[in-house]
Amino acid sequence: MSAAFKAFLKSPVGPKTTHFWGPVSNWGIILASVADTKKPPEMISGNMTGVLCVYSALFVRFAWMVRPRNYFLMVTHSCNECVQLYQLSRWARFQGFLGKKKEPEAEE
Amino acid sequence: MPGQPEVRGGAAGLAAAKGVHFWAPTFKWGISIANIADFAKPPEKISYPQQVAVACTGIIWSRYSMVITPKNWNLFSVNVAMAGTGLYQLSRKIRQDYFSDEKEADPSIEG
Repeated sequence: MSAAFKAFLKSPVGPKTTHFWGPVSNWGIILASVADTKKPPEMISGNMTGVLCVYSALFVRFAWMVRPRNYFLMVTHSCNECVQLYQLSRWARFQGFLGKKKEPEAEE
Repeated sequence: MPGQPEVRGGAAGLAAAKGVHFWAPTFKWGISIANIADFAKPPEKISYPQQVAVACTGIIWSRYSMVITPKNWNLFSVNVAMAGTGLYQLSRKIRQDYFSDEKEADPSIEG
């Protein structure tokens, strides 16, 4: 085994600690949201998506500031932030918040 | 005083004084509150993957908050709420998908 892998196993935020497996469970939310990007936007909950955007932004900062610094948690929430913002944009467009481009049919 | 962070007044000052170690876990309550707001929405709009993920992550974190030292009751309570609301949303959707169809099928057979 390489020295880096051994260091990972012994790390205070490594796989023997809750600081690792908690974020692993958070990946469930990300993977669920990636699956939901394939579904129609009517199914998106604006409440939940908006809350998850703020929640993940706060936890990116939390993961950076907490000691020991938790890069895995930071990456987890950065990814969730991306997918939640995308879902939020799909929801907002569907609700009409992003404005409609001028359609040729409307002008004719 | 030298070396002290600048103290601002008002709500912004209070938010800054509390810091991310307070606000990040506190805001996690928003997930359960959003779920409770969604109790009013029709079950067709509930996402199975999302609610399974919310329920599972709530259960796992509830357990972890009790095995760390010191026990973190704040973390425990917020994750119990997530698991509870997630499981309730799942039960609403499962009830509609698998148990109410039988009742709806009867009228169409008779009609």
